[in-house]
Amino acid sequence: MGNYFNNIFRAISTIAVGMAETWKAMFRPPITLQYPNERWQLPVNARGILFNNVDDCIGCFKCARICPVQCIYIDTVKALPDEDLGKASMGNPIRQHLVRFDIDMFKCCYCDFCTTVCPTECLYMTEEYENGVFSRENGIYHFSKYSPPEAMALRRREQEETMTKALAKEAALAAKKKAAAQKGKETAEA
Amino acid sequence: MFGNLFKKRRYIFEDESTMVFDMDQTAGRYYDEAMKKLEIEAYEGDEMIVNMGPQHPSTHGVLRLELVLDGELVKKVTPYLGYLHRNFEKHAENTSYNEVIPFCDRLDYLASMNQDLAYALAVERLIGLNELPEKVEYARVLCCELNRIASHLVAVGTFGLDVGAFTPFLWAFRDREKILDLLEWLSGARMLYNYIWVGGLARDLPGGWLAKVREFLDYFEPKMVEFNKVLTSNHIFIERTAHVGILDPDVAVSYGCTGPVLRGSGVKFDLRKDEPYSYYDKFEFDVPVGDGQFGPLGSVLDRFVVRIQEITESVKIIRQALDGIEPFTDQDVKQAIPRRIRPAADAEMYVRSETPRGELGFLIRSDGSDVPSRVKARSPCFSNINVVDDLSRGGLLADLVIIIGSLDIVLGCIDR
Repeated sequence: MGNYFNNIFRAISTIAVGMAETWKAMFRPPITLQYPNERWQLPVNARGILFNNVDDCIGCFKCARICPVQCIYIDTVKALPDEDLGKASMGNPIRQHLVRFDIDMFKCCYCDFCTTVCPTECLYMTEEYENGVFSRENGIYHFSKYSPPEAMALRRREQEETMTKALAKEAALAAKKKAAAQKGKETAEA
Repeated sequence: MFGNLFKKRRYIFEDESTMVFDMDQTAGRYYDEAMKKLEIEAYEGDEMIVNMGPQHPSTHGVLRLELVLDGELVKKVTPYLGYLHRNFEKHAENTSYNEVIPFCDRLDYLASMNQDLAYALAVERLIGLNELPEKVEYARVLCCELNRIASHLVAVGTFGLDVGAFTPFLWAFRDREKILDLLEWLSGARMLYNYIWVGGLARDLPGGWLAKVREFLDYFEPKMVEFNKVLTSNHIFIERTAHVGILDPDVAVSYGCTGPVLRGSGVKFDLRKDEPYSYYDKFEFDVPVGDGQFGPLGSVLDRFVVRIQEITESVKIIRQALDGIEPFTDQDVKQAIPRRIRPAADAEMYVRSETPRGELGFLIRSDGSDVPSRVKARSPCFSNINVVDDLSRGGLLADLVIIIGSLDIVLGCIDR
């Protein structure tokens, strides 16, 4: 019986102590932010949406290779020998046309590996974190210096180049074979 | 066994006439045989099978429990896992040693720093990298302990929510948010840090960060006193939890429970003390164990109190680490990061460390290439969740909710 009343007493007294604490909290300023109207102050190096400054990108594939989830897609076209694409702001010479640099932000795991390996520091994470979109295509971010027709023309140029090279190689091979066959004939005749 | 269920069955028809089938005469024995073949547990007739989860607020994630209930009494609990399986181990076999770290973050997403540290330690020992700059070691301990506080705050806060206390939950999350802000300043991300790398840290400590941590501790300690006044010392809360979910020490050990679940049962086992890694042997701190002050030892309350006390111990460690790191603030945190990680062929290493949930171990086997040939994670939650059947048998359904809360499981850690 004593235990019973003791229990009641302790329950009431400890609740009173707790209620006193919560009462104090009534007079503290609220710490919640009214989100769309107010925003957090993000730290300097906060990791948000990736951004690539294509003017500085040399197309080295380092970011695509280190990405644990393979969310960076890069296509490059080699510059012609007489073409000068200039230099990145860090001094690295640019030797490729960057026809495609896509980042799938749905796949991205925000690990920050790609920005640490970037030699020209052109790939970095912005402080933007509101990247909700209505369709899957909009989550893929395209970065390119070239408009789609230009990129297409560059790709075609490379294709033609490889084609002509392959044709030339084939022709050279055929000529070699022919010469060898002729030589063999000559030796046989002799 | 099946007798009661199948021997006599009463059917009530639409016109309220009843009829009793004697199943022994008809199909009873075939049922018995079929059940035996399927190895289905025998039920006595009044039981009911209820699915709890995977979408249930008090299973703390996507855990499905199959309950056998007799009225409100729990007869059997079977946890079904795998709803959050993300193939960590196979991913690890296809990515280089460094690239596994973001996946480690996602194991136990409430304490990512601790997971990173365990993995980084395993790889460091695999390649024989034992000497690291003092700043790196102190900073690792610092952020691990901060993360431990944040993780325990979630544990105690949501546990309060499970027993019906809403205010402490909000207060715990308010303080956790401050820790996450600190760690975001440090690493750039709120939860999945990818900060502790093999041989070093991803970034240097920002200027003024250490002062901010000190400031936070000064703010946090009185808040914890407040928290204890509201929840931990509340008599109704104590009476609710002190006699529920008794986990005997020998049962806990035989199930392989670790962390606060084991220490709540009075077993003093903490890898930070017993098998110190990093700089944990340089700090003075106690290992709190459950004492069964208000009821039997190993109750839900004991596990809760152990977590509360561990928060205070972590604060102690952080204060010592802040003093310890002071002379080394000029060091470069990236100087010891190996340029290329390529362990010897057939090298194998198992390293375990104490995360907020218990012993996390990484077994890494190398085949001499850049990519690990096998990474096995020994998850603490996986062992801890298996004890739920033992704890809740014979108890009430409402007790099961707080038992799960007291085990403090993270499904990302269980399913991997």
